[in-house]
Amino acid sequence: MTSVQITGTMLFQLVVSGLLAGGLYALVALGLSLIFGVMRVINIAHGTLLMLGAYTTYWLFALAGMNPFVSLVVSIPILFVVGAILQKLFVHRVVNAPELSSLLLTFGISIFIANVAMLAWSADYRSVEFLTGSFLLGPIALSKPRLVSFCVALALTGLAFVFLHRTKTGKAIRATSQHRDVAQVCGINVRRIDLITFGLGAALAGAGGSLVSVMFAVYPEMGQVYVFKSFLVIVLGGAGNYPGAFFGGLLLGLVEGLASLFLTAQLSEVIAYILLVIVLLVRPTGLLGGRA
Amino acid sequence: MPDASILDIRDVTKRFGGVTAVNRCSLALTPGKIYGLIGPNGSGKTTLFNCVTGIEPRDEGEIRFKGERIDGLKPHQVARRGIGRTFQIIRVFPELTALENLLVVTREPFETARRKAQELLKFVTLERLQHEYAGNLSYGQQKLLEFIRVLMTDPELILLDEPAAGVNRTLLNELLAAIARLRDQGKTILIVEHDMKVVMGLCEAVFVLDYGEKIAEGPPGVIQTDERVIEAYFGR
Repeated sequence: MTSVQITGTMLFQLVVSGLLAGGLYALVALGLSLIFGVMRVINIAHGTLLMLGAYTTYWLFALAGMNPFVSLVVSIPILFVVGAILQKLFVHRVVNAPELSSLLLTFGISIFIANVAMLAWSADYRSVEFLTGSFLLGPIALSKPRLVSFCVALALTGLAFVFLHRTKTGKAIRATSQHRDVAQVCGINVRRIDLITFGLGAALAGAGGSLVSVMFAVYPEMGQVYVFKSFLVIVLGGAGNYPGAFFGGLLLGLVEGLASLFLTAQLSEVIAYILLVIVLLVRPTGLLGGRA
Repeated sequence: MPDASILDIRDVTKRFGGVTAVNRCSLALTPGKIYGLIGPNGSGKTTLFNCVTGIEPRDEGEIRFKGERIDGLKPHQVARRGIGRTFQIIRVFPELTALENLLVVTREPFETARRKAQELLKFVTLERLQHEYAGNLSYGQQKLLEFIRVLMTDPELILLDEPAAGVNRTLLNELLAAIARLRDQGKTILIVEHDMKVVMGLCEAVFVLDYGEKIAEGPPGVIQTDERVIEAYFGR
């Protein structure tokens, strides 16, 4: 440990960086939370879907020179379709099965996809060097890629909420997650809702991947850390609680940021898990309450 | 006269593992009447509802609605044919508003649906609370909301699972009046109910289940004095 004096500026800088990271966690975790809320399926493959989004952006950037943020209009629909296909072929079989079945199934899917990616694209680390440098706001430095990614993540999360709250399909998704049986008896085709939900969840993960690619390395196993963080976020916010996923994401970013003040980067990851254990012990339904 | 029945349940059996919840049960409903379905706890009433609505597919037997087989259909398909139901334990969508609870179940164009929803909310004097989350409504209000949610899709057959449970007298009378009005509009209604006053006052015919089997059927007055029914309820 160094004995650098902690100044207000430093603290503020870390809060800002933490929140910037948190916006992305919120986006990715919302996808996981949606899928869990509607189907009670814990999607371990969420991280590999994120990785596919990141590679979509990488290849479009490397081969066609496409702006990584513009590439979202490609990665989002591609991942929606990938998600819908996975649902149609595999996931629908475990919707009413015990949780362990969905864990094993999606774990298998994730191993499969990650290994295909490794065969196809090798395990090399790749990067999308698009935006570099920082905006300087007085003494605070805001990394350009992180700031833009944060704004886009926030906008996409907002769009997802508008979809869930304003559209008929969105309301049907929420109704299904609140009472699956009743939704069916009321005439809602829950199989169709499942398909849309898994597609949407995968699309959010893919969008997250596109945004991650401008900040961090792209490689086949890059998604793992995001699966764990997304779990953490939905436990923090309350499983199946969609606004909870948003606030949980920001909170995790903040805690990681502040922890880095006192600890090395590796150790600050531990803080997140300590937080997880505390929440599970003190308030197992999550900070905003869940429906698990 | 099987063709005259709106709902025709024939020899339906449903098992859970070794337990036979519904055992070769047959009943037929004529359109435009209110029927009661009674029986001791665990006699298979709710399970029979679940078989009809497709939530728990029947193991054996046939279920016909307006002459067509509906056993084997998915729950949402059964609902779209024109069968609505409420649940024993209230199940509104707690995190949708009262109005959204109604809109989410229809497939009509938005404006038509909204007008209908608002009429129904007025019908049960919930219009002031239309933008309130359903989870924040009182028990009685949720019960009314669940009831009008069934009416949103204009079903021809309505299955009500213990509508009177936990409802105060005033609300109950309103609910019973509403049910009678629906019958007058030509709907068929099947009610699971423990409150004998409700059953005797409202139903034209009553089916009695015991251990998953139909042990009696007939007008309420006759059923009340049926020895097998008394035995099922009070023991020998």
